[in-house]
Amino acid sequence: MTTISKVTRSSLDLYFRLLKVLLTLLMLLMIVPVLLQILSRYSGIIPRYIWTEEIARFCFVWIIMIGSMIAVREESHFRVDLLPQPETDRQAAFGNLIVHVGMMLVAVVFVVYGYEFAEFGFRQHSEMSGINMLSIYVAFPLAGVTWAVFLLERIVVDAKRISGLADVSRNHESE
Amino acid sequence: MSPSEAAVIMFGTFGVLIVLRIPVSFALAVACVPMMFLDDRLTPILLINEMWKSYNSFILLAVPFFLLAANLMNAAGITERLVNLARTSVGHLPGGLGHVNVVVSMLFAGISGSSTADAAGIGSLMIPAMKKQGYDSSFSVAITACSSVMGVIIPPSIMMVVWGGLMSVSIGGLFMAGIIPGILIALLMMSTVLVYAKRRNYPVYGRATRKEFFQALGSASLALVTPAIIVGGIVGGFFTPTEASVIAVIYSAALGGVIYRSIERREFPKVLYESARLAAISLFCIGTASAFGWLLAYHRVPQALVDVMAGWGTGFVTTGFLIALSFLFVGMFIDAIPAIIVLGTVLLPLADKVGMHPIHFAVIGVISLAFGLVTPPYGLCLLISCTLGEVQVVNVLKDVAIILVPMLILLIVIIVFPEFVLFLPRLLTPKFL
Repeated sequence: MTTISKVTRSSLDLYFRLLKVLLTLLMLLMIVPVLLQILSRYSGIIPRYIWTEEIARFCFVWIIMIGSMIAVREESHFRVDLLPQPETDRQAAFGNLIVHVGMMLVAVVFVVYGYEFAEFGFRQHSEMSGINMLSIYVAFPLAGVTWAVFLLERIVVDAKRISGLADVSRNHESE
Repeated sequence: MSPSEAAVIMFGTFGVLIVLRIPVSFALAVACVPMMFLDDRLTPILLINEMWKSYNSFILLAVPFFLLAANLMNAAGITERLVNLARTSVGHLPGGLGHVNVVVSMLFAGISGSSTADAAGIGSLMIPAMKKQGYDSSFSVAITACSSVMGVIIPPSIMMVVWGGLMSVSIGGLFMAGIIPGILIALLMMSTVLVYAKRRNYPVYGRATRKEFFQALGSASLALVTPAIIVGGIVGGFFTPTEASVIAVIYSAALGGVIYRSIERREFPKVLYESARLAAISLFCIGTASAFGWLLAYHRVPQALVDVMAGWGTGFVTTGFLIALSFLFVGMFIDAIPAIIVLGTVLLPLADKVGMHPIHFAVIGVISLAFGLVTPPYGLCLLISCTLGEVQVVNVLKDVAIILVPMLILLIVIIVFPEFVLFLPRLLTPKFL
């Protein structure tokens, strides 16, 4: 492995781990506003905040988008196996390449149009807590960029498998 | 563009992408993109905007929380207590562990809203135990997978939360409606187990003493209160479904972390992460499926379908069967949540046209989709159970099919007689109807 690919790999690993930590923290954080909402209604000690529901929803949007990024790298988005299993590794790699290029299409749409969407959010503030909506809308283009990066990592592997194994099969034939 | 052209392009693209093994959530998005370029009035920003609108929902927040509660219950060893309770109450019937499996699934379904958590938690305990006592692996796996579908039918239910949230049906009403069909499914499955036990001479054990039963009941009592808190809280108007799901989280965390002390502090982040990850993957589908459904509605596909059916003059029962068949078919291939959105939006006007109650429509949909959890090629509960039982999916299909027959009959009965579904909501929660 070259130094460049090693550095890329370890920085992607680091980013992936950061996403995992963020997902865990957001899940924990999301409990708080809903709990506050219940406690304020039944205890009377805590004032009735009006922003609890909104903050919980915004955490939720980030959880979904970060989860989708993690699942792209893990390849754990739900898929259906209808075709017979590929016979050779090269065929399998080719099948994967089609999947990853197809997903890349969505990533590109999210980067291009997500940027416009986020710009739109920059001019808005949320109704209850007054947060700039950019801080939530930005999850969409960020998801696009992250998917694209993780998919590119996969596509490189697919391409290597397709070309690399072609050499192996040629060697077999010459024997 | 005519409704039929739009439907052919969108479903056609989606179908091809699915066959190519592109993940369902991404395939739905890709199928939307060309439509957005073809029409001058649309832009792909709408795809993102529809996704944002579907995620920005307080009701759907209940999904990760119910999943978290179920995973905490599993981590806290509550499943084991429920197994003990079931063993002391039905373990003496012929085919004992088969009945225990069904009853535990029913009890667990009342605590959790997720069938996959049910299959994973119960399967890891029951399948090895059943195999050890001489039950066939295929039967052990099949009964675990099939009984786990009660998780989404008996309240609380993640599928019902999604359904109610997206189609503006009362979740309290849906929860009430699931109780009778859920219990009937348990009874039917237990009868099937009896037949199996007689034919295959499965072991019979002595009856547990009354003392043993009460001990087991006592040790499971704190867990058994959960459904009362959740369902009672929602139906009584004390909490919203989302708040109830958070209470379930706090309660199960308290049981596992403080009272039983069975969850170590280190385990909490892991459970949090796993629940958030699984919920995010399922819910991500909601966004792209909503955009897909929105585009179908934009091209008036649901209305066109209603017109076609009106031309055929289909009545109430026929429409009910058509709805069930559509959900059964689609549920075989894709996850229940995107299926609810895509098919639900298309079929809702149809159900409306023949005067079907929204809760009746929802329960037919949920039960039909529950079959999809155990049917190949895409049945999550079946896949989980097979992994736990270390058997190939092909080898359990026969037993799964046999166990599903009574459930199919129940589905037919429910379609023809709406009262099975509507009786409890009408009796207990008339304000939700």
